[in-house]
Amino acid sequence: MNKTKKTNKPAEKLFGLSTEEYEKISELLGREPDDFELGIFSAMWSEHCSYKSSKVYLKTLPTEGGKVLIGPGENAGVVDFGDGDVLVFKMESHNHPSFIEPFQGSATGVGGIMRDIFTMGARPVANLNSLRFGSFSHPRTPYYLSEVVKGIGFYGNCMGVPTVGGEVVFDECYNDNILVNAFTIGIAKKDGIFLSSKCEIGNIVVYVGSATGMDGIHGATMASEEFDLKKNKKRSTVQVGDPFTEKLLLEACLEAMEKKLIVSIQDMGAAGLTSSSFEMADKSGKGMIINLDSIPLRTAGMTPVEMMLSESQERMLLACEKEKFSELKGVFDKWGLNCVIAGEVIKEKVVRFYYNSKIYKTLDVDVIVNGPEYKRPVKSPAYLKEIKPLKIKSYKMPGNLNDIALKIITNPNIASKKKVYTQYDYTIGTGTVVPPGFSAAVLRVSGNRLNQNKGFLLNVSGNSKYTYLDPFTGGALAVTECARNITACGGSPAAITDCLNFASPEDPETMWQFSSAVEGIKSAAIKLNTPVISGNVSFYNETAKKDGDRTYVSKIYPTPVIGMLGFIDDVNNAVTPYFKDEGDEIYILGSLNGNLGGSLYMDIIHNDFRQKPSALDLDYETRLQNCLRSLIAKGFIKSAADISEGGIFTALAESAIANPKRTFGFAVDYDINGLRADEFLFSEFEQAFILTADKELNGAHKAAVKKILGEYGIKLEKIGTVKNNEMKINGIINLKSDTIKEGYYSAI
Amino acid sequence: MDNKKIKAGITVFPGSNCDYDVYRVLNAVFGVSASFIWHKDKVKNLKNFDFIVIPGGFSYGDYLRSGALAARSPVMELVKDYAFGGGIVLGICNGFQILLEAGLLDGVMLTNDSLKFECKDVYLSTLNTDTPFTCAVKKNSVLKMPIAHHDGNYFATDKIIDGLNKNDGVVFKYCDEKGNLSAGSNPNGSLYNIAGISNENSNVMGLMPHPERSSEKILGSEDGGHIFKSIIKYIKEK
Repeated sequence: MNKTKKTNKPAEKLFGLSTEEYEKISELLGREPDDFELGIFSAMWSEHCSYKSSKVYLKTLPTEGGKVLIGPGENAGVVDFGDGDVLVFKMESHNHPSFIEPFQGSATGVGGIMRDIFTMGARPVANLNSLRFGSFSHPRTPYYLSEVVKGIGFYGNCMGVPTVGGEVVFDECYNDNILVNAFTIGIAKKDGIFLSSKCEIGNIVVYVGSATGMDGIHGATMASEEFDLKKNKKRSTVQVGDPFTEKLLLEACLEAMEKKLIVSIQDMGAAGLTSSSFEMADKSGKGMIINLDSIPLRTAGMTPVEMMLSESQERMLLACEKEKFSELKGVFDKWGLNCVIAGEVIKEKVVRFYYNSKIYKTLDVDVIVNGPEYKRPVKSPAYLKEIKPLKIKSYKMPGNLNDIALKIITNPNIASKKKVYTQYDYTIGTGTVVPPGFSAAVLRVSGNRLNQNKGFLLNVSGNSKYTYLDPFTGGALAVTECARNITACGGSPAAITDCLNFASPEDPETMWQFSSAVEGIKSAAIKLNTPVISGNVSFYNETAKKDGDRTYVSKIYPTPVIGMLGFIDDVNNAVTPYFKDEGDEIYILGSLNGNLGGSLYMDIIHNDFRQKPSALDLDYETRLQNCLRSLIAKGFIKSAADISEGGIFTALAESAIANPKRTFGFAVDYDINGLRADEFLFSEFEQAFILTADKELNGAHKAAVKKILGEYGIKLEKIGTVKNNEMKINGIINLKSDTIKEGYYSAI
Repeated sequence: MDNKKIKAGITVFPGSNCDYDVYRVLNAVFGVSASFIWHKDKVKNLKNFDFIVIPGGFSYGDYLRSGALAARSPVMELVKDYAFGGGIVLGICNGFQILLEAGLLDGVMLTNDSLKFECKDVYLSTLNTDTPFTCAVKKNSVLKMPIAHHDGNYFATDKIIDGLNKNDGVVFKYCDEKGNLSAGSNPNGSLYNIAGISNENSNVMGLMPHPERSSEKILGSEDGGHIFKSIIKYIKEK
């Protein structure tokens, strides 16, 4: 490398590239890049598009096996659903735009992920989302919450895709960086999948959808930087969503695909025309001519670099056989959308741009696409040395546990999110069998077949506090927690997508958290046989802050979020977590650890959650979940719930009050065997489930149950009985269910 | 008469998104021969159809008033002719909004009083069972159906309300599980808890809840199916 030539460009002119990267580009080109080239490099070499810091770790994840047909690399992953059907899904972050402009940021996040799915030829059938906001009492949290939820509803509802589940978490670590992760799953025919890698020489390149405007320029670069003190200046980097146009684009694309008019297709997401043209060319091993004069514009006089970097939504680039163009245009005309010839697929691996009818630039595909790949320095975070196992004896046992229980159940992180999910249409599509608000969403494929009972389950989960305290376990727990929710409904986990939200990768401690969390995800995914088929990394979720004279960086906790797909043969056999009948018996399946480290209880009651959470025994976890699935398959189980945030008390209380038909209670009388009462009630993420069954479980079914338990080596203990409106545990808890219910549903 | 012989037309506007749900339920659950009518289809009239459904969705994105643009679409001229000739027209959700905007039903829709999109199950009290849409429903029976809308807050002048009351034009009102009308059971602030109304001849009805999403047991309610069963019964007995 020519070491004499240091760039003297100031950092803000590099659009997020480092000085070294700029020099590398100069070396590759044999000269300094001009503004057009710099724009393209800055987008394609951005963290957001290139995964330059994460790739080395992501490569280690299991991506094959089971029912996986297509793993990472395409717009989304594909899983076999039998009978010639496939399911296509992915989760993606839209954190930075949502923090700058929460309504449009979240709306276009949902729009973007749906485009990824229908680009593959799949009709989106469900959305989920995972949201993180600052502390519930932070003055800006209500604004972010209401705008993000409105944005998600605005886009998803208009598209006619049900939003069937998700999570909403409040924590002060998100005060300066909210997270919006959007998940979409679609259904397609196995022989009707479309890829971005199928361009053939001589195909014409066609631009379809909305015109290109000035919105979202440098969006990918913006999402690859931390926020500084002038975040409001970044507003123009946020895209503006138009779900109506996307609905038309969806119908037009699926119609054109059905008529076999499309050879290859890629949506224009981050870095718009730049990434779609270069990535399609690269994946197809071809080159492309792009005629910038043909691009439909919203704003006259846009420069070539602005056209290339615009992230205007609802646009696609596709390759089509020349002779089929008029038919293709007919379809897009019907839906009132732009459809113009924008270029041609060529043999030479370059993208050649025409502008004002002349050759404007020719860029080598390999040079642009093969950006840097880093193995960034890693260092175990200093704070982890302070994270010790919890000694509960040093913390005073609260006098009145009823008050504590009420505080837990009304905590915004535990309380019902009904006010959020009722703003999303979750019933459209006539496929939602178990709606939001319970363990996992259960959907059937309604199609046009009446007796179609096979279904699938969806869940998204992540716990950043646990990941902060123990990154490996936090990563693994996100996977097992999704699997617990799906298993508790009677489903079999099949595959996952991941959305990895972290602070700056340039900080070795963050990179250590990242590598450990990925390692955790990997271990759990291998053990549970749920390959990672798609995903997304969002770094730089941190903000420079000023407090008087002091400047500091506000960073999010490491937040890996998993979206999981599971299968069920007959949705009529899906189990819900709520109690069904008074007099049913309550059981614990599994074993209790009683470790309160990292729990909500320690956080809000003792103001000290910084202790080590329990390690996960992945071998035990697999046996436990297989055991529960076997018991459910036999039809023995009437309700099943896992023990997550808020501990056993919360699991029992939710099971008692969540039945839409009536309110139940419980009487639990259980030998807690050396545990302190608070450890029993509130320790979280136990490797155990709360089940209910009628008396036959311990009667007529006794032998069959014993056999299943023996096979997996899992313990089942009766702890109590389903009651009417009262919650009683061992004489330490005595509450009215109505009181708990009132608090649970009205807290947020 | 075989259900298969009954022909239903489902209008499709750009942005309709419950069209396929209605299509599926009519064909697969009730065995009716339902087909789509694209808003620009060049058909002379709709006389071949035994009834027309205007499904829900966000026609034209509802970027103007909900339903306002669709109401001025060419196919709505045909729907009007069809309705004036006594044809049965059912508007669901956005379809109800379109019927109001087209002047086939009286009144207007305001934004929900919560100012939010509301998706939930509601209960409906059936006030008039002497319509093609409710003739298979027992009077005052309570039906459970989901709503999913942003602008379902029905409003009308006193004169319109008087007219509706005189003609038994208020077909459904929001109520609680037991059938009691109360403010608490009104999900959107709708005037007098009105959820569905018909025209004077009761051949045109609009309602905000979605019967097509509550016609199968697996979805938690089959009550919406009574509306489709009523239409089928009415056509068979006509």
